[in-house]
Formats: sequence, C-alpha cells, structure tokens
Amino acid sequence: MTGRSPGGRLRVGLGAAVREFVREPINLALLVALPPLVVTGYESMLSAFPRLPYMSSDPEALGATAGTLFVAAFLPGVIGLFQVISAQRADERLSLAGFPTPTLFASRLAAVCLAAVVTAALSLAVLATSTEVESIALGFLTLAFVGVLYGLVGMLVGTVLPRELEGSLALIFVVDIDEALASGVMATDAAVTKLFPLHYPHEVFQAAVDGRVPDVADVLAAGTYGLVVLAAAFLVYTTLAGTGGGAQ
Amino acid sequence: MTGGDVDETGSVAEPAAGSADPGSDGAAEVVLRGSDLRKTYGSALPFGRSVEVLTGASVAIRRGEIVGIVGGNGSGKSTLMKILVGALDADAGSVDVSGRVGWCPQDELLYDRLTVAETFRLFGEGYGMTRSEVESARDRLAATLDFEAFLDYRIDRLSGGNRQKVNLSIALMHDPDVLLLDEPYTGFDWETYLAFWDLTADLRERGTAVAIISHLINERERFDRILELADGALTDVTEQGSSQAGAEGVR
Repeated sequence: MTGRSPGGRLRVGLGAAVREFVREPINLALLVALPPLVVTGYESMLSAFPRLPYMSSDPEALGATAGTLFVAAFLPGVIGLFQVISAQRADERLSLAGFPTPTLFASRLAAVCLAAVVTAALSLAVLATSTEVESIALGFLTLAFVGVLYGLVGMLVGTVLPRELEGSLALIFVVDIDEALASGVMATDAAVTKLFPLHYPHEVFQAAVDGRVPDVADVLAAGTYGLVVLAAAFLVYTTLAGTGGGAQ
Repeated sequence: MTGGDVDETGSVAEPAAGSADPGSDGAAEVVLRGSDLRKTYGSALPFGRSVEVLTGASVAIRRGEIVGIVGGNGSGKSTLMKILVGALDADAGSVDVSGRVGWCPQDELLYDRLTVAETFRLFGEGYGMTRSEVESARDRLAATLDFEAFLDYRIDRLSGGNRQKVNLSIALMHDPDVLLLDEPYTGFDWETYLAFWDLTADLRERGTAVAIISHLINERERFDRILELADGALTDVTEQGSSQAGAEGVR
C-alpha cells in the first residue's frame, strides 16, 4: 500500500459525490424544474404589487431578479445540506479509514460547485426570457458565486445540525429572509441586512442586469463574505466529521 | 485507520484474576490495548438522565488471537468498539493500537447509491491502496464471501445479507493487523457464516488479531478468549462461562 495523491483522492471523492447525487432521479428533476418555477413564480407573484416609492424598479422585475437569486442560492444550499447529512455516518467511516477530511470536504464542495453552476445557468436563462440582462457573464458569475456561498452555508448547517427536517427548515428560513431583505421588496435600511449572505451579491447582480459597472466595495465585500463562510465551513467540517462527535 | 494515534494518558493496570487485559507476559505482541475506558452519555436537557456506559473497561488483544466480547443489550459493546477504533472519544482512559485497524460496524456505514465496486474504490483510496490492490482485494473477498455477481449493484439494491458481506469486506480489504467486528454475521446464510469463519481462521493464521462483539456467542471453541461486558467493565469469562452464552456456549 502506497500513499495516494491528494488529486487522485479528490477525483475519486468527487466522482462518488456526483454519482450519489445524480443517481437519485428526484434530485435531477428538482435541479431542472425548480429554476423556471421559482423565477416565474416570484415574477408573477410580485406583478400584482403596486410600485412603491422606495422600489428601484417595477415589482415584476424585482420579483424576477429576487426569484433568480433565491433559486440560485437555495438549490445549492439544500444540495450542500443533504450532501453532508445523508452521508454523515459513511463519511465518518471513510475518514476513519484514512480518507483525509479536507479532501472529503473538497469533494463535497466540488459537487456543490457543479450544482451551483448548473443552477446559475438555468436560472439566468429563465430570467433572460423576461428581463434584459445587460451583462450575462457578470450575472452568471454572481449567481454561481451565490450558489457556492449558500452551498457552503448548507454544508455548515448540515454539519452542526445533522437532521434533514430541522436543517432544511433552518436553511429555507435564512434564504427567505435574506433574499426578502436584499431584494428591495421591503423598505429597510437596517444595518443588520448587510450581515446576510445575499446583500452584496444582490447589488452586484443588479448591476449586471442594469449594465452598470458594479461597485468595487460590493464585490470586495461579497468576496470577503465568501471567504469567511468558506473558512467557517471548512473548520467546522474538518473538526466534526470523522470524530464521532458523541452519537451513541 | 492506521492506528497508533489515539493514545491518551494513562497506564495499564496490572492484570488481575479474570481481567480482560492479560498484561505483557503473554507470547504474542499486543496489537490493541484499551485501558480504563470510561464513557458517560450526558443529556443536553437540564433534567435529562445521563447514562454511565463504561466505568473502567480494559482490554488487550494479541496478534493472532480471536476474542469474543459479549454483553446484554445496552451494555455498551458498540460504544466500546467505537472508542477502540477512534470513532468516539472516551471520557477517560487510553487506547493504544499498533498497526492497521479494520472496523466492521454493526450498521452498514456505506454509501447507498454507489455500486459495490465503487465502494471498494472509494474506501481503497482511504486506505491508501493502489487501484490494482483494490481490485485484487475486491475480487478475493467477493469470491470468498460469494458476492461476485453483485459488484455492479448499488448498495441500496442489495439484500441485507449481501450488504453485510460488503460491510465486512470493506473492513478486511486493506489486510488489517487488528480487526474489530460488531455483530459481523447478522443476516448471513449458513454457507456465508461458515465462509466467514474460514476467513477468520485464515486471518488468525496470518497473525491478525480479531475481536468480535456479539450479544450472543454460540460456538465457544472458535474463540481464544471470551470477555463479558457488564456494569461498564470487561471480565474474562473464558473459563467460567458467560451469562450471554448460548446453548453450546461457554457454560
């Protein structure tokens, strides 16, 4: 027995994570069906609203943008959550067998990144059918970033709260509140809104839709936020996964 | 599970009569030693009960030895095993392992939607095995335990007995120095049960230490020693018999 390269292990780990995901048909169905449903649902739901003075654009457009960001965040978040929870005990055994937890983390994250890219592409494509997106590239990158960011949040929640029902509810609650505050549908200037993950990415995405150059401060803040969440998810996962924690 | 990295402080007590730790005067090298292990499961709720599971359990297993660990339901057998393999931290005590450890948990801790062959590949990466080593171990164990026809089947589509065969094989595939098996033959048919014991005899010949946890041990002659876990501690009951032994057991 010889030592294996981290790259080889990552490849095998990623392959296993992706197979685990795609071999559940409901996962693929949701990945394809939810983006159009959510984006058009948000759009039509908010189209009935009057345009209020604090709104930056008409409610229908706000709804479409909000729905796009919501689904781009929520789907990878749930996938990250279930990636961790459904495999928790097998991951513990694999870790005890010698599979390094950082590589295991990277495998799970890589699978989440793939899901984030697919969700970003689909949700942006749906948005583009009703709203003119001036910078497709920036819009796509922002949505993919949002997916990875919430994928990490999902992994974090799944690690510290490894229960499917409770974890899903916690995640749905956070994404809902986050997008509602970030979208501009509600009138609030509370500083606390800036602590939520979608605040800065929403500003960047709106700039992509409008064809403006995004504020550098927003881009930097979003990137910093992403790095902090990445570090937190990595530390928590590598500390708790494989240690057994204490479950009887 | 490479072993040698779960040592904490604490020394091994001198062996007493009926002790589960035979000390250092035996012929073969001790490959796994757990000393004065203590574990209490606390309650997260303010008025919940805490359960004291291990109160100072000590065990030493030598190379080439087959040890049975028996105990009633809820006596702490699985907790003991998890502590010995490093899956659970003890509140106190120490575990020393020399060499590679193989662990077959009571529940099949496998990835449901991977095939049997993919499962071997993934765990082989963990053990640091090359692809050809993995394939060789996989084919050998599949032939011995008779699941060659199911290598391309998903784990969640296997019968309970076949899942248990894969569960056991994953613990064996890297040729461990000490093998810890928690209720390993649950769901086996008679042929597989016999094949399991042939395999265990082969391992013993090669110097592998094997510890088998079970709530019931029927064939006493297959074991070198039998330890009983009761009231949180282990006692050697090889000679006097165990309350958990069956009709053909140690009584």
